[in-house]
Amino acid sequence: MGRTLPAVTQVFLQEQESFSRFRRALRRSDQQALDELFANAHRHLAAAAYAAHALPFEVFLLAMLLEEHKEVRRLRSLLEQLNLPPHA
Amino acid sequence: MPEYTGWLLDLYDDLEEGLVCWLISEAGERLRLRQDFPVTFYASGSVERLRALWRYLRPQPVHLRREERSELFCRQPITTLAVQVPSPQAQARLFAQVSAAFPELTFYDVDLPSALRHAAAFGSFPLCRCRLEVDAQNRVQAFQVLDSPWELDPALPPLRILSLEPDCDPAHAQPTHLRIRCGKAEYNLRLAAARPLLINLGAILQRHDPDILLTTWGDTWLLPRLLELAEAHGLPLPLNRDAERLPASRPELTYFSYGQVIYRGAQVHLFGRWHIDAHNAMLYHDYGMEGILEMCRVTAQPAQAAARLSPGSGISAMQMITALRQGVLVPWQKQQAEQPKTALELFHADQGGLVYQPITGLHSHVAEIDFISMYPSVMVHFNISPETVGVGATLAEPYETVPELDLQVDYSRKGLVPQTLAPLLEKRIALKARLAEMPAWDARRSAYKARASAHKWLLVTCFGYLGYKNARFGRIEAHEAVTAYGREALLRAKETAEELGFEVLHMYVDGLWVRRSGATQPADFQPLLEEIAARTGLPIALEGVYRWVAFLPSRRDPRLPVANRYFGAFQDGSLKLRGIEARRRDTPLFVAQAQQEIISILAQAPRSGALGEYLPLVFQSLRRRLVALRRGRVPLEHLLVKHKLSRELENYRCPSAGARAAMQLQAAGKTMRPGQNVRFLYMRGRPGVHAWDLPHPPEPRGIDLARYTTLLVRAAACVLQPFGLDEGQVRERLLVGGCTLSLPFAAQVIDITNNHKLENNCAC
Repeated sequence: MGRTLPAVTQVFLQEQESFSRFRRALRRSDQQALDELFANAHRHLAAAAYAAHALPFEVFLLAMLLEEHKEVRRLRSLLEQLNLPPHA
Repeated sequence: MPEYTGWLLDLYDDLEEGLVCWLISEAGERLRLRQDFPVTFYASGSVERLRALWRYLRPQPVHLRREERSELFCRQPITTLAVQVPSPQAQARLFAQVSAAFPELTFYDVDLPSALRHAAAFGSFPLCRCRLEVDAQNRVQAFQVLDSPWELDPALPPLRILSLEPDCDPAHAQPTHLRIRCGKAEYNLRLAAARPLLINLGAILQRHDPDILLTTWGDTWLLPRLLELAEAHGLPLPLNRDAERLPASRPELTYFSYGQVIYRGAQVHLFGRWHIDAHNAMLYHDYGMEGILEMCRVTAQPAQAAARLSPGSGISAMQMITALRQGVLVPWQKQQAEQPKTALELFHADQGGLVYQPITGLHSHVAEIDFISMYPSVMVHFNISPETVGVGATLAEPYETVPELDLQVDYSRKGLVPQTLAPLLEKRIALKARLAEMPAWDARRSAYKARASAHKWLLVTCFGYLGYKNARFGRIEAHEAVTAYGREALLRAKETAEELGFEVLHMYVDGLWVRRSGATQPADFQPLLEEIAARTGLPIALEGVYRWVAFLPSRRDPRLPVANRYFGAFQDGSLKLRGIEARRRDTPLFVAQAQQEIISILAQAPRSGALGEYLPLVFQSLRRRLVALRRGRVPLEHLLVKHKLSRELENYRCPSAGARAAMQLQAAGKTMRPGQNVRFLYMRGRPGVHAWDLPHPPEPRGIDLARYTTLLVRAAACVLQPFGLDEGQVRERLLVGGCTLSLPFAAQVIDITNNHKLENNCAC
């Protein structure tokens, strides 16, 4: 592990690195949002390693989506607590 | 025929034939006995070549037999030519000829140390209790071992220990005196006067006749120097108890292991007496003499070897003894290669343990539960051994499939590795159970802890050896099976915890951090432990319940959690720190102690909610330390930074602070090798460091106080960050009201507010 195949953290960093040109061309505020997306995916590295998926970036994308969805749920429940309808 | 009962002190090959055994008799005599010890090695191959070997060996003084023996990886016994040679010495000589003349044959049991063969044949180990029958020529005729390595409280002989210690670190300055202690006697000999030194030391050795020479820097400096002096002056120096032998020297070595460059100093081994150098013994700092004794008890390696070798060679020794006892051939060279896999199989198999990212921040009433020696337990429980793991079709029924992997484990026979580990695991668990029952004041606690620590190192390395390509009983598939079972167990534990309503804050290979509202006492977590043990089949225990624990994010990016950076206080008041400055060995003591104190102050808080009340105390303590630093009241030793050299000095393109310090030493005529540690102080100006082992002392006024202040602030901020304080805020709070600019070196105090950078003062 880590010799024959790179460890999941290395794979993650390589994937992130491969978007450095994309990131550079973004506005500063967008760069921060992109960094947050990657930080979100980073939280699920153990699960990504366990998945042993042939295309790890798909797993990282799903992990980003997962955190985004958690955020949506959190905001939705906040709205509910405030007694506001979600589509108001 | 005379009979002796006592303890086996030392065992080694005689200069001529057979073995020398040193016995400490019950009457307190130290007896040098000899034992004939014929050994057997085996050859296998084509019938013609074996017959040729037979003809080749017939004129020699050996016994030849055709034998069916078990080979670990063959289901059926194989035909071998067994060659019995009268002594280990004769075997080594003969085998050198045979292996050159018959390179196409496969050889077994050829390079086993005599101590291991003896252990396999008689059950012996260093300091075992034994009864010997001896003939008129002091030859052992019967050797009976009376105790076992697995005894929890073995009866040990009263060992005579003589300690030899130069009055300072020879790497730091030239020692002038040699301090000698043996029981109540103490001596102080001047090193400069060689003749009186040698004569007196010789007389002291004769008078006390120690069993163990316990030295500091004895391997790397003291004994080689004493031996040189003795030779130059033509005086005898009875370091050995065995008068027929000279001490054996082994050269220094730098090697690469587990991503680290490791330096091992030269060694001096004695005969009939043990030489143990506290500075050159592996893990001596961790488990001391008790640990070394335990290491040689369970591995049966000679004590001087066990003290200096890695635990990995201890595990190999144990496996070889198991093989010898069961009549399984020990191959000379390993022959198993990895089996082919598809890429997808490799993705699944080539993984380690599961390492999660914790939920960062401060948490209350968290239980840490750990599988006990997870990987060794997996090997024993699931019968994982190089010869039991394979693809189903090649195995006999019954077998089980490894989770996630297309591998099966043979359950029809007990594997060699599980057989070797089972008694060690049992002993460790029994020791831990005893420790848990012992009151804190019990004098035996430290010895028990040292022994448990020796077991831990052996058990930790046995897993690595399973995957090590050069280990004789290693096989990568077995290694992969262990981690696969480990991942499965951790995930089952997570599922169990969640089903029982716990929140899982963190998981790390073999441990989980869980909490549930209302669960605050150890008993509240007991049902969870039992359920996990039932579902995984592996032993699991509660490490403790934290009053509070803080998981820290990455230093680079506060949004990223990291797996192994946390600190917390258990309910019993004990602390656990991981990955922070206080645990790092390159941290100066001044900084480590400050950080430790902050955590100790915080540990007084009964729960996380009350922690804020303790912050003023924390800042008080930090200010006190800062003032001590400014006033020059911190001993220079506490400011020492220790770096390990990772390469030869000329290969540093951009020398780090440690490399610059090593260069100073080299300029002063000392040689520095990769893997060696260099200690230094941060100084103002260029080159920014002062190597501690330079002949001239550092100028205290030149100490880079700003840099040490930054290190202190950084370490404080690291543990205060869960309270919402970052480095800038800690610095600000520390300097307001705490320090006045009238102190000495005031100019530097201003410097630290300007966000002093810690990057190396790189010359390029």
